Amino acid sequence: MLKPAYRIAGVSALACGLGLATAAAQLLTHKDLSLAVATDIAVAAVDACKAQGYNVSVHVLGREGQVVVALRNPAAGFATYENSMKKAFTARTTRAPSGRFAEAVKGNPNAGQFFLTNFVAAQGALPIQVGNDVIGAIGISGAPGGDKDEACAKAALDKYAGELK
Amino acid sequence: MSRIAFTIGAASVLALGLTGSANAQLVTHKDLSLATAVTIARTAVQTCKAQGYNVSAHVLGRSGEIIVSMRGDDTGPHTLENSFKKAWTARAQRAPSVNFANAVKANPTVGAIHLSNMVPAQGALPINVGDDTIGAIGVSGAPGGDKDEACAKSGIDKVAADLK
Repeated sequence: MLKPAYRIAGVSALACGLGLATAAAQLLTHKDLSLAVATDIAVAAVDACKAQGYNVSVHVLGREGQVVVALRNPAAGFATYENSMKKAFTARTTRAPSGRFAEAVKGNPNAGQFFLTNFVAAQGALPIQVGNDVIGAIGISGAPGGDKDEACAKAALDKYAGELK
Repeated sequence: MSRIAFTIGAASVLALGLTGSANAQLVTHKDLSLATAVTIARTAVQTCKAQGYNVSAHVLGRSGEIIVSMRGDDTGPHTLENSFKKAWTARAQRAPSVNFANAVKANPTVGAIHLSNMVPAQGALPINVGDDTIGAIGVSGAPGGDKDEACAKSGIDKVAADLK
């Protein structure tokens, strides 16, 4: 009897220590993508690829992986729409280029995250950051090679780097 | 037995007539380009924003497929879905979604209300080339479907010269 009570007390102390019950609790302050900036980035990525002769579909996702802008390119294969979303989801949730997850899966085909919904082991997406804070991701699909998809994503992020602060 | 054979024979003749014409031709379509669809959606969102309304918008293509999806700043989370369903309704019926809203008012059990993605709400317009409906735009988030629809119209008006 004494032992469980002691455990509960220990858990309570831990909860206080984590800040769940502090008197000075504060809300979180976030920077998030506006639709205008997200659309600028998405359109710039489509244009960057088109200038090289590639028709691509694009997704820009926000902080929670929600779709902020989705562009299906009727001139691209229809799988590109889904693929661009999944690449972006992978980049957002791992806070890293989706190509890195592709490499991880190459090294370990049973990587645990590979079995989660919307993960895809494919290059072509980059996280969108404000400093070190990942506020979203852009995913591209349709160019002949994930490296080319990623280059278009990077061109778009570079173009609007001034807005991401 | 002979009756059944006759029935099958008649069915075969019918099938030939429907599918076996010597002059079969492919169907020629005009369809939305991504660039045109983005301009329509963006203009609609900006028109509403200029009036103080944050809205989400969808532009769908001929088969109801999503070409552009835009989640408006600070909009309710339902507006993305609602703008899609309004657009779906307008595309399916080749008419402003308000027409379906009025039809449901008159007859709450009208058949189409039981289909997926149909919503009896104003705020979407078909995108036409002449009499051919090639897609639709749906808007959600303004305080009133009439205001959503006005923004949708501004998007279509912007590219009117390209819709031919």
